[in-house]
Amino acid sequence: MNEGFSIRQVFEGKWTQGAIPLVLLVALLLIIEIAAPGFLTGETLALLFANTAVLFILATGVTFAILLGGIDLSIQAVASLASVMLAQLLPSLGFAAFPVAILSGLAFGLLSGIVHVKLRVPSFVATLATGGVVTGLALWVSNGRAITIEEAGREKTAWINATVFGLPMVVLISAVIGIAAFLALRYTRFGRQAIAVGAGEPAAWAAGINVDRTKIIAFAASGMLAAIAGVVLAARLSSGSPVLANQLLLPAIAAVIVGGTAITGGLGGVARTAVGALIISIVRIGMTFVGVNIFLENMVFGAVLIAAVAITIDRSKIAVIK
Amino acid sequence: MTIDTEPLKSVSDIERTTLMTLIPGRIAALFGGRRWRSLAPLAVLIVLCVLIAIANPNFIELRNLVRLANSAAVPLTLAMGLTFIILMGSIDLSVEGTLSVSAMVVVLLAANDANGNDYGWWAVLAAIAAGTVMGLISGLVQTMLRIPSFMATLGMWFIGLGLSVYMLGGSAIRLNDASIRDLALHRFLGLPLAVWVAVGAFALAAIIQYHTRLGRHILAIGGDEDVTKLSGVNVTRVRIAAFALAGFFFGIAGVLAAAQLGQSHAVIGDGRLFAAVTAVVVGGTALTGGEGGVVNTLIGVLIVTVLANGMILLGISPYIQQTVQGLMIIAAVALSLDRVRLKIVK
Repeated sequence: MNEGFSIRQVFEGKWTQGAIPLVLLVALLLIIEIAAPGFLTGETLALLFANTAVLFILATGVTFAILLGGIDLSIQAVASLASVMLAQLLPSLGFAAFPVAILSGLAFGLLSGIVHVKLRVPSFVATLATGGVVTGLALWVSNGRAITIEEAGREKTAWINATVFGLPMVVLISAVIGIAAFLALRYTRFGRQAIAVGAGEPAAWAAGINVDRTKIIAFAASGMLAAIAGVVLAARLSSGSPVLANQLLLPAIAAVIVGGTAITGGLGGVARTAVGALIISIVRIGMTFVGVNIFLENMVFGAVLIAAVAITIDRSKIAVIK
Repeated sequence: MTIDTEPLKSVSDIERTTLMTLIPGRIAALFGGRRWRSLAPLAVLIVLCVLIAIANPNFIELRNLVRLANSAAVPLTLAMGLTFIILMGSIDLSVEGTLSVSAMVVVLLAANDANGNDYGWWAVLAAIAAGTVMGLISGLVQTMLRIPSFMATLGMWFIGLGLSVYMLGGSAIRLNDASIRDLALHRFLGLPLAVWVAVGAFALAAIIQYHTRLGRHILAIGGDEDVTKLSGVNVTRVRIAAFALAGFFFGIAGVLAAAQLGQSHAVIGDGRLFAAVTAVVVGGTALTGGEGGVVNTLIGVLIVTVLANGMILLGISPYIQQTVQGLMIIAAVALSLDRVRLKIVK
């Protein structure tokens, strides 16, 4: 193997494509540090991680759906419902409110999966519809109002806002979830089958994979993670509301794609999503840090989003770009 | 030249379909198979109208029908543009951004309460041009930077929203030009002019889809992009043109929305994207592209509008309305999509 060949291999190799989002992340950090010195301090970074936690948990859930070649548009509704249930049930159920809220997410994720697979409705439409169903329920349960978590309830959510070993608890929660999801995708049968289905559904089916079951599990996982994100969000804000997570759906999907997971499925993973979520939240926080006009923030965000995707996306695996 | 590929497809489908997935197909087959299924959205619309009319006869009062047509005007115009994009198998998430840019341009250039401009109908032209340019940029970004339309148009959504909020200074600005306001206030044959504009948009979209090369090429790209490319179609140019066309319709919708509200503000587009996507999909246009069209979308828009209007007439709690709408989408799509032919449902 001569040297010229190996250099070319380095640049065309898989790992460089995988490293681009990470390079972008570091570059963004440096740019903001240069524009506004004082950004790269332990305190700001801890805040950055804490602010990314909810987005990352949501994005991890939707990563499962996107890896399969589908999409989950109900995560913001499920997260909001979980926040409402937590706030509503904490006074009566105490700590049992946590599992109930999270299991409600699992149930609606399961519902999305079953509607998608058994009724053969495209996941875009199926989850758009279940999202509407769930939002309606959340509005009905909460009577359309935000519910404040009272003093007694706040004692039970305090552990989420605590700091452990100098790190905010939410960062540890999202790290545990991220690692669990990473291992599940890489080392379990479900994970490998999910990637196989995303890469080529007919081939996966022909190889004997239970495609339907894999899809249902993925959507159930997405729903459950969305509910966990909703619970964390409710604990951080000490309130639950039927529209609490509405602004998080598109950033979560953007985080997955910017991280380098192909929207067509079969390529990507949770580690990429972690990088993508950090990029999204650095751009958001960085704009405040650098002092971008508040009315212009959305515009800059949109432009950066397009640029980030243009840089990070792996085109070699996508035959047709739709 | 036509090749009948139906027998080939049905062979491979038998392998794939299981008992469970066949049930909707079987129900459809009882009523005559594919032909029935393509009429399903129309049947849903008729059943819906009959049920609501029985429950509350006020539904078929002329006054309510005019109200219905009026509230369908903006969604119909938006959905016309979106239909072309979805027919290609792409998606346009910039609906709300483009609409708010167009509404912002028309309000700021026509007589308003924030600056001294008074360009009259030139403002309308400028607004539609602005919408078209937004679409053109979406198309250029998608094809030239080679990124999926989902992300390209998501970026354009934020850019459009940011631009309009910035130009409006974060506040609501009133539209004082009487002739533009007439779009919503003046009536012709009992219907507001905005409804006639929407009907015109539908007619234009139908002509483009069925009688122009662009329409045919869009449908071909949705059917199979590779084959279309091999047939010598300049796919890139068609894609850019389709996005610009969608922006053109969104621009018209922005003018109508500004005229109806009499003002423009930051949240003028809120909720319009999902309403438009729902209408297109419920009408029977497949998200995978290549199937459906503007006539389907017309029915889809009517279903969504009639349902919303009916739920208000029936006094259904506004909180539950979204739930009903969600269940409705599932039912309509499960019945109407020709999924037995779709081997893979993503």
